[in-house]
Amino acid sequence: MGFVRLVVFGFIFLSIIYFCLSWFSRSVRREKLEEDWAEEKPDGVSRDQYVTAGIEKYNSSLRPKLLLLVYVVPTILVAGIIYATNAN
Amino acid sequence: MARLRMIFRVSVFLIVGLFLHYVLPQHDIVRVTSTEIIRIDFGGLNRLFYAQADSGNIDNPTRDLRLIYTEKRKTFLLGFVQRDVEEVMVYRNEDTGWIWPPYFKFDSSNLQAEMARAEGDDQWYSITHYGWRIAWASIYPNAVAIRPVDGPDVRIVPWFNIFFFVFLIVAIVTVRAMWNQFRERKVDPLLDSAGDRLDEVQAGVAERRSGLRRWLNTWRKKEDRK
Repeated sequence: MGFVRLVVFGFIFLSIIYFCLSWFSRSVRREKLEEDWAEEKPDGVSRDQYVTAGIEKYNSSLRPKLLLLVYVVPTILVAGIIYATNAN
Repeated sequence: MARLRMIFRVSVFLIVGLFLHYVLPQHDIVRVTSTEIIRIDFGGLNRLFYAQADSGNIDNPTRDLRLIYTEKRKTFLLGFVQRDVEEVMVYRNEDTGWIWPPYFKFDSSNLQAEMARAEGDDQWYSITHYGWRIAWASIYPNAVAIRPVDGPDVRIVPWFNIFFFVFLIVAIVTVRAMWNQFRERKVDPLLDSAGDRLDEVQAGVAERRSGLRRWLNTWRKKEDRK
């Protein structure tokens, strides 16, 4: 019972962290793209087009996938603690 | 106001600090003198400081509790400065189970066996524990692990706590950065547009008023018009 509770609430908690972090990372990237556009002023590319293309490139890059580590690392950590505490 | 904010900050800091001091692992250098099981009748005051019943069991108001009697090296400054003085210390030995505090300790019986083996010999041990000994409320720290050490003056590096505080600082910095980003990208534009709308409304009101004034003016004599 305790284990089920840990898994359910842990999943909810980590999901909140995951969504906050992925919004944050994308937002920082968007801001950087906007600044790049303002600096470069590429011909014939509107600001919206430039940012959308950049965000699409970001979405298919490795970085958003790395954020899934938010789920992986605590799981490994808990397994490690269980082992360290109970092995003698 | 500044003083109130100061008081608020200090009390938050104190509460968080006490909480972490209770929950984070600490190491005591001890000699185990004996072990015992007593019956304990929880009260409202100290129930919070004991573990829940083992999973699958009913949580009764009365339970047996494993205790470990030791002779402990005294320290200053949260264990950073060792002293040449000894005192007695009593630990409880309970499962923490799956939830809280997250030590995931299920091996109380094994630990008790290790304690029984260590009982009465001259060897010094390091006991990892969390919690406080509060005599007037019958509250004991919970022992988590025991391992033999070379001597009473051994220095133990609290690796877990070091990593924990580094992680805590990183987490606080990240949350701050996240909050600032959220405010800059989501809240401020919203407030700006609300401010713009307010400006527009005021401008509209002013214009309408000026229209009314113009109409009124047509009723006035030419030299009185504003």
